Amino acid sequence: MRKLLVLLSAVAMSVVAQGAMASAAGALKMVEIDNSEQARQRGVEIVVSTCMMCHSLKYIKFSDLTEIGMTKEQINNLLEDQDINDRMMSLTPVEVRKESYGKVPPDLSVMAIARKKGPQHIYTLLTDYYYNEEEETDNHLFPGIKMPDALAYADAESDEERAEIEAQAHDVASFLVWAADPSAESRRTIGTYVIIYLIILTALLYLLKRRIWGKIH
Amino acid sequence: MAIDKDLDSPDRRDFLGKVTTAVGAVGVAGACIPFVSSMNPSKDVKAKSTSIVDLASIPKGKTHTIEWQGKPVFVTHRSDETIADMQDASTEIDPQTDTDRIQKPEWLVVVGLCTHLGCVPNRTQEGWSCPCHGSLYDNSGRVVRGPAPNNLIVPHYEFIDEKTIIVGQKV
Amino acid sequence: MLKKVFSWVDERFPLDEMIKHELTEYPVPRNLNYMWSFGFLAMFVLVVQLLSGIFLAMHYKADVNMAFDSIQHIMRDVNYGWLIRYLHSTGASAFFAVIFIHIGRTLYYGSYRRPRELLWWTGLVLLLLLMATAFMGYLLPWGQMSFWGAQVITALFGVTPFIGEEVVIWLRGDFVVGDATLTRFFALHYLFPFIITVAVAIHLVALHWVKSSNPSGITLHAKDNIPFHPYFTIKDLFGLGVFLIIFFGFVFFSPEFWIMPENNVPADPMVTPPHIVPEWYFLPFYAILRSIPDPMGGVVAMAMSILIFLAMPWLDRSNVPGGAKFRPGYRVMIYVWFLDLMLLGYVGAQAPEGIFILLGRIATFIYFGLFLLLPFISRREERRSREEGLPREAERLIREEQEELLRSEHYLRRENDEKELRDIRKRLEDES
Repeated sequence: MRKLLVLLSAVAMSVVAQGAMASAAGALKMVEIDNSEQARQRGVEIVVSTCMMCHSLKYIKFSDLTEIGMTKEQINNLLEDQDINDRMMSLTPVEVRKESYGKVPPDLSVMAIARKKGPQHIYTLLTDYYYNEEEETDNHLFPGIKMPDALAYADAESDEERAEIEAQAHDVASFLVWAADPSAESRRTIGTYVIIYLIILTALLYLLKRRIWGKIH
Repeated sequence: MAIDKDLDSPDRRDFLGKVTTAVGAVGVAGACIPFVSSMNPSKDVKAKSTSIVDLASIPKGKTHTIEWQGKPVFVTHRSDETIADMQDASTEIDPQTDTDRIQKPEWLVVVGLCTHLGCVPNRTQEGWSCPCHGSLYDNSGRVVRGPAPNNLIVPHYEFIDEKTIIVGQKV
Repeated sequence: MLKKVFSWVDERFPLDEMIKHELTEYPVPRNLNYMWSFGFLAMFVLVVQLLSGIFLAMHYKADVNMAFDSIQHIMRDVNYGWLIRYLHSTGASAFFAVIFIHIGRTLYYGSYRRPRELLWWTGLVLLLLLMATAFMGYLLPWGQMSFWGAQVITALFGVTPFIGEEVVIWLRGDFVVGDATLTRFFALHYLFPFIITVAVAIHLVALHWVKSSNPSGITLHAKDNIPFHPYFTIKDLFGLGVFLIIFFGFVFFSPEFWIMPENNVPADPMVTPPHIVPEWYFLPFYAILRSIPDPMGGVVAMAMSILIFLAMPWLDRSNVPGGAKFRPGYRVMIYVWFLDLMLLGYVGAQAPEGIFILLGRIATFIYFGLFLLLPFISRREERRSREEGLPREAERLIREEQEELLRSEHYLRRENDEKELRDIRKRLEDES
C-alpha cells in the first residue's frame, strides 16, 4: 500500500510537471513523423531552398547530411555559394532579416524539441496560414505571426494543392526532428540492448537473492 | 549472528553467484566504454584530421605552408635541378635517401616543425633553417646540421589526382 | 599471493578490520524491507552524477556565448556525448526521486527519532546541499528556463533586510544573471558534489553508530540482526537492478521527458517565457513560496518548509516507539502529508491565478498545520495507547528492546539513562 502510494506520487509529480507546461497554442494538427531517409531528404531540400532564406540551422553542417543517406553529390546540389563543410547558415544578412521581421528569425536546429509537441507544432504552423479580413496572411496557431506563408498554404485553391503542401510540411517536420536529435536512432538501438541486459542481470540477482535469503526464512 | 553455512548447497549457489558476477562484470566493463570513448577526438576534431592541398596553385620552385591537425606542413614544388641535387646528396645525422621521402620527385611534403624542440624553420635556398637553435635542413627536409636529431617528418599523404593531395588519415 | 599483500597492508592499515566491521559483518535488522534500499540507491546516483558530470565538464564551456553551443557540441560531436548528457539530466531527477522516497521512509517509520536525530540532521544538510547543487547546475545549459529560473530565485534573496539589493548583486556578480553568474555557478556546481560526498561519509558514520532502524520502529533483539553481507549486499544489488531498468528506460527512450522544451531555446535576457516553472523536484517549495502574498513571507515560508524538518524529533511527542506501524494517528497524518505534497507540486506547476491561488494557500496551510499539530496529535495518541494498550507484537518488541538495553554498552550513554535502566530492570523483575 505504502509502496503504491510512493510510486503513484512520483508518477503524478512527473506527469504534472509535464502536463502543466501546456502551451497556449491553439489546437495542434496530428502528424506522424516519418523516420525514413527519403522523408528527411525531401524535408532538407525544402528547408535549404525555402526556410533558409530567413532561418539558419547553425548546429548542422552540410556534410552531416550524409547521416540521412545523402551522397556528396546530392548535398552539393543543394548548395549555392556554400562549401560542403559549412554550417547551414542563412545567406541573407542578419540586418536584412532583422529589419524585415523585427527580430532575427529563430534558429531551426533544435526547433523540434524547443516547443511542446515540437513536430506537430511545426507541421501545424506551416499549414495554418489563411487570409484575414485585411487580405494579409495570418496564422491560426500563432495569430499576428511575422513569418510569411513559406509554403504558400493560404494560396492553395484545391484539396490536392493543400495535400501537397501538407506533405511538404510533414517532410520538413520529419527532417527537423532528425536535426534536433541526430543520435536518437542509435540511442534507441543501444537502449534496447541495455534494457535486455539489465532484465537478465536483475533476474539473476533476484534468483541469487532468493537463494541466499532462503536459508534464514 | 552465526549463520549456518552448512544449510545451503555451496556448489549450486556458487555457480549462480559466479554467473551473476560475470554478467555484472560485463555490464560494468561495457559502462566504461562511453566514458573512455568520449575523451577521444570528437567529430569536429576528426574532420580536421585530414587537409586537402591544391597543388596547381604552387608554382615551380615555391613552397606553400598549409595547416594540418593544427601543425604547419611545407609543400614544395621542386625544380629539376633541386631534385637531381637531392638524389645525389646524402646526409649523416639521419641517413635517408631522397626517394624514400617522396612519392613524386617534384613534390616534397614535410611537417614544418623542427625535430629538435618544435620551432617552425624558415625557408632558405638550400632548404630550411631553424631560428631557435640553428638546425639546418636540405631540400629533401633532411637534417644537415643539428642540434635536431631527425629529418623533418614526412606525414601520411595521398594523391587524389594529379593536382591534389590529401594529408593525413581519417581517424 | 593476494593473501600476502593483504597481510602486509593489515599490519599497517585497518583495511580488513574496517571492511569487516562496517560492511561485511555489519549487523542489520533482518526485517528491513526494500524501503531501506534507497540510501544505497542515492549513493549510486551520486556516483553516476559525479562521473557523468566530470566527463561533461571536459567539453562544456561556462561562458554565456559558448555554453548553449557547447551542449550541442556534446550532443552532436563528442563520442557518446549524448549519452553522458542524458545520464546527467536524467540522473538529477533520479537523485531527487530516490531522496524523496528515502526521506519519506524516514518520516513514515520514525527513523528520525532518538537516537537518530543527528542522522536526520545530517540528512537534511545533504538535502539542502543537493538542492543548491541542482539549482546551480540548471543554469549551466543557458537555456531560457535556466536563465529565468536563476534570475527569479536569485532575486528572492532581495528580501534580506537592509542589504537585500547588495546581496542579490553579490550573488550574481552582476546586476542581472550574466557571465559572472554562470562562471561561478559552474565552479560551485563542480565543487558541491565533493562536499556532498564528505557529508555522506559523515551521515554514514552517524548511521553506523546507532545502526539502522527497522519497519517496527523498535530496536530488535541482537539475535534478530544479520550480517550485511551477503544478505543486504544482494538485496541492495537486486534493488539496484530494478532501479536501473527504470532509470535507463528513461535515459535511452524518454530522456526529453525530464527536459523542458523551453530550455532548448537559448537564454534571452530580453524575453521572459510565458511560464517560468522550476524542475519538478522544486515544485512543492515553489508553490509554498508563491502562496504567501508578501515576498519576505514567501521566502521565509519556503525556507521554513524544509527547516521545520529539523524539529521533527521534538515535534513528535509520542513515547510509543517507532513510526507508523503501531501508531494509526501518525500514519494518517503521514498519508495526508504525502497527498498534500502532491497537491503542492501540482499547484506549483500552474500559473498563479484563479483557483490555484486558493488551492496553493490551502495546501500550504495543511503542510505547516500538520507539523504544528504533530505535538498534540502524538501526545493524544500516546495517551490513548496507554489506556488501550499497545498491540501484542509491539509489547513483545519493546520488552526485547529493553532487555537489550541492559546488555548493550553504548546504546544509551547519558547519565539519566542510568535511572531509566534501573527502572527497566525493576519493572522486568516485578513482572517475572
